[in-house]
Amino acid sequence: MIRFENVGMRYGMGPEVLRDVSFHLAPASFHFLTGPSGAGKTSLLKLMFLANRPSRGLITMFGQDIATLPRKELPPLRRRIGVVFQEFRLLGHLTTYENVALPLKIQGKREAEYRADVEELLAWVGLGDRMNATPPTLSGGEKQRAAIARAVVAQPEVLLADEPTGNVDPEMGQRLLRLFVELNRLGTSVLIATHDRALVESTGAPELVLRDGRLTIRG
Amino acid sequence: MADPLRGKDKAPTFHDEERGPAGALAAMLVETKSVMPAAGATGMSLMLVVAAMCFLATLALGAALSVGGKAREWTNDLSGSLTVEIKPSREMEPEEQIDAVMGVLAETSGIVSATPLSRDDTAALLEPWLGGEVLADDLPLPRLVDIRIEGSAPPDLSALAMEVAAAAPGASLDTHRQWQSEIVNAARSAEWLAYAVLALVAATTVAIVVFATRAGLSANRDVVEVLHLIGARDNFIASEVQRHFLHLGFRGGVIGAGLGAAAFLLLGLAGATGDLYLVSASGIGPEYLPALAVIPFAAALVAVLAARLTVFQTLESML
Repeated sequence: MIRFENVGMRYGMGPEVLRDVSFHLAPASFHFLTGPSGAGKTSLLKLMFLANRPSRGLITMFGQDIATLPRKELPPLRRRIGVVFQEFRLLGHLTTYENVALPLKIQGKREAEYRADVEELLAWVGLGDRMNATPPTLSGGEKQRAAIARAVVAQPEVLLADEPTGNVDPEMGQRLLRLFVELNRLGTSVLIATHDRALVESTGAPELVLRDGRLTIRG
Repeated sequence: MADPLRGKDKAPTFHDEERGPAGALAAMLVETKSVMPAAGATGMSLMLVVAAMCFLATLALGAALSVGGKAREWTNDLSGSLTVEIKPSREMEPEEQIDAVMGVLAETSGIVSATPLSRDDTAALLEPWLGGEVLADDLPLPRLVDIRIEGSAPPDLSALAMEVAAAAPGASLDTHRQWQSEIVNAARSAEWLAYAVLALVAATTVAIVVFATRAGLSANRDVVEVLHLIGARDNFIASEVQRHFLHLGFRGGVIGAGLGAAAFLLLGLAGATGDLYLVSASGIGPEYLPALAVIPFAAALVAVLAARLTVFQTLESML
């Protein structure tokens, strides 16, 4: 589904932040991505959600070599990927409901089709009574849950999450993890970048470990 | 238990996606929520600028139509009429002169009517300049014959001029041609000048919209990035941005065209006693008012197209 072969990446003329990274995410797999701060986790995720292009190496997503993909072919691929950004990146002028519904709206779906689903999902992540609030008025944990809801609402084939439990208490962390596991059971490949050892150990899923830009696979 | 969120109002929602044809016009006046943040603080001032541009465009369009209409009117009017001027002569009595000229005119084909102005009519024409008292009966006055010619089959004017001159001493045919071509040229120049102003105003509006679109996109760069990353096409972003400019253009256009029409009405009141410069007495003829209603739609169209093309161009270089 997602295959990296000897991928290297640098920002501008700087040093390589990722070196010879090779791995394969199979459909319906579940992985954690761990490593110390500054090891390149976010850079790796950026490559995976097509925000950046690699400096070298081959990245194949859904069978397509992204290096040769023209710009206008990217949106359909991105729609198959759900992303929870580290800094959430909710749109401040839209309500929580609108933020979460955005991926569906972008796909051209009508509100009547998705409204009930979005409301149900918001209730499930505990934001049922915050639907009309805008992100600036949400707490850190609420923003995080809204970001997760937005990432999963379109039932993506791949879910990439950057520190998705960083701002919530352990109980909510476990609840969100159950959501990821549930999605994974329904066929979504999940990759979670985290520092939270408890989270990693509670599932026993394989771990991609990044250290100084190099990747090893554990488990 | 009833959902309190649904009970209140239909919020939270984006703009009404299922829009009937009737709703389309209403949608131009009532701005609905966009995924792209509105230009924010610049929104109101930008609207004022667009309104001012539309006001100028309305004045220019009104002037162009009005002056153009006048020019055509004069062309038809003057080419349909001729005058024979008969200066007093020692050789012939004025009435004989007129009879001789009328004789020539009667034999010429293509003349619809020829009406000699009586001495009183002529005196009345001169009165504003000379005063009624001065015009004693023995003051020799030139006499005029007003001629209407057939527009479709006019007489040979140069031959007619020679015949008229030969018929009576002091008689000459005035075809108004020189006067006509000068004033029509002046009017045409004014008309084209007004169209040039209109084009300039349109170009300025395009430049303003392009600038505002670029500024808006770069101010909302993070929003654009997020939209891209969750799979939005340029087209989606362009639609969201251009909707804002649709409202901006249309509202600005309505305000500007409204003010422009009001200005023409005031001009009409001020100049009700006669033609004010080249604009007709009513400021602008009522037949041109519907044409002014085009301005808001044209403004909306120009704003939307400029914004849309700018978004595509900018996004191409942005991500």
